[in-house]
Amino acid sequence: MTTKNAGLAKKLGYKNVRAYLEGEPAWSKAGNPTYSMKSYVEKGNIVLIDLRTSEKAVNGRVKRAVSVPYDDLEDRMDDIPRNAPVILYSDDAEEAIDALDDLRSEGFKHVSLVKGNYSGWVHSGGEIVTGAIASTEISWVRILGPGEITVADFKKATDGGDPNVFVIDSRTPDEVAQLGIFKNTVNISLDEIPNRMHEFPKDKMIYVHCSTGARAEMAFQELKKNGFKVKFLFLTISDPICDCEILKP
Amino acid sequence: MRIHPKKIFLLGVLALFAFTGCTTQKSQVPTAVKPATEKVAPQPKDILKGKIAGKSNKAKNIQIIVGKGDKAKTIMLKFNDSTKGLEFAKKGEAAIIKFKMVGNDKVATVIKPKLAKLPEGVLEIKTNELMGMYESSADMVVIDARPASRYAQGHLPGAISIPVPKLKKEQETVLPANREQLLVFYCGGPT
Repeated sequence: MTTKNAGLAKKLGYKNVRAYLEGEPAWSKAGNPTYSMKSYVEKGNIVLIDLRTSEKAVNGRVKRAVSVPYDDLEDRMDDIPRNAPVILYSDDAEEAIDALDDLRSEGFKHVSLVKGNYSGWVHSGGEIVTGAIASTEISWVRILGPGEITVADFKKATDGGDPNVFVIDSRTPDEVAQLGIFKNTVNISLDEIPNRMHEFPKDKMIYVHCSTGARAEMAFQELKKNGFKVKFLFLTISDPICDCEILKP
Repeated sequence: MRIHPKKIFLLGVLALFAFTGCTTQKSQVPTAVKPATEKVAPQPKDILKGKIAGKSNKAKNIQIIVGKGDKAKTIMLKFNDSTKGLEFAKKGEAAIIKFKMVGNDKVATVIKPKLAKLPEGVLEIKTNELMGMYESSADMVVIDARPASRYAQGHLPGAISIPVPKLKKEQETVLPANREQLLVFYCGGPT
């Protein structure tokens, strides 16, 4: 896309055109901030966090924001799903950047800031809520992509509550030996899946998981291609929301 | 009882890579279900070009998406200690993989990066240089070429959104009038 647009601009007669090929992922990885659009802060499926003190949040906060003062952020991290897009604001630009760094280094994949922090939001005419904070609970539900299962469905299957599901753990035997395995689950590493397909039930739904969802998705694609009814869990299984029982070796 | 978060978190980080990309996001690429009985025609070539969809060091597996749009296919390869250029098999990046068949498996022998060809007269800019330009408040217009929805989620400071179809359609009307103005285009990484 970068090269296409740069080429178009060049054709239109622009003389100074540069292409930042590494793009947004490299920008974020280098510790730099990204900013979300107002409409996304208002309507996106996000976790919006007010880093200021509770008193300030009571006096006025961005609509839908959860009050998590920066001092409490570390303690509250496990309440935020790792896959959720997280948007932060403060009244201290440095604090917002620090929080962004903290979350990214904890494994959060999509963290951005509100442009101009709280005052920027107010200036842009964004909606404000005032008054007592009824709850600081963080509730976020992933909008599932094709082939994904909910954590609840996955938990039901590993708890043994869904006999029509065959659960595959696609991690390596070494990882399973070290970390344990969920109940009602068979360990068949991604590597072995193509050679062991004949063992899998065609009449059951297959759920695949791994440690983050990356290998599970590969296994999902492979099984789907071969005509299986299959879904996968796109979740870092250490995420506290995945509270499934583990059998230790 | 849960898996100890700290331990598995490290594993997670290794396997994890931002899933942004210039091409369609993974969640938007449904692949057709083929009946199991259908025979896949043997591939005469021993080279695959496309975007790396995933790599697992533990499983010694690489997935590459070959073809575009509805014809896009995900192909799984194995790799081993003699595979050359493994550092170029990064999720989301374009690569050219040479492979050989070992039994039923495709085993990657050489992986090369598929470098984006820059239009004539366009220079690449690296992260450090761009950061420096932000620091010195350089006079530049930063343009996000990704779809508007990706821009909305998170974009570089001060960037404006001009997805490729928009620039194609609206031409210079969406760009600054001054043809000397420095323009920096970016997206979600190499395609």
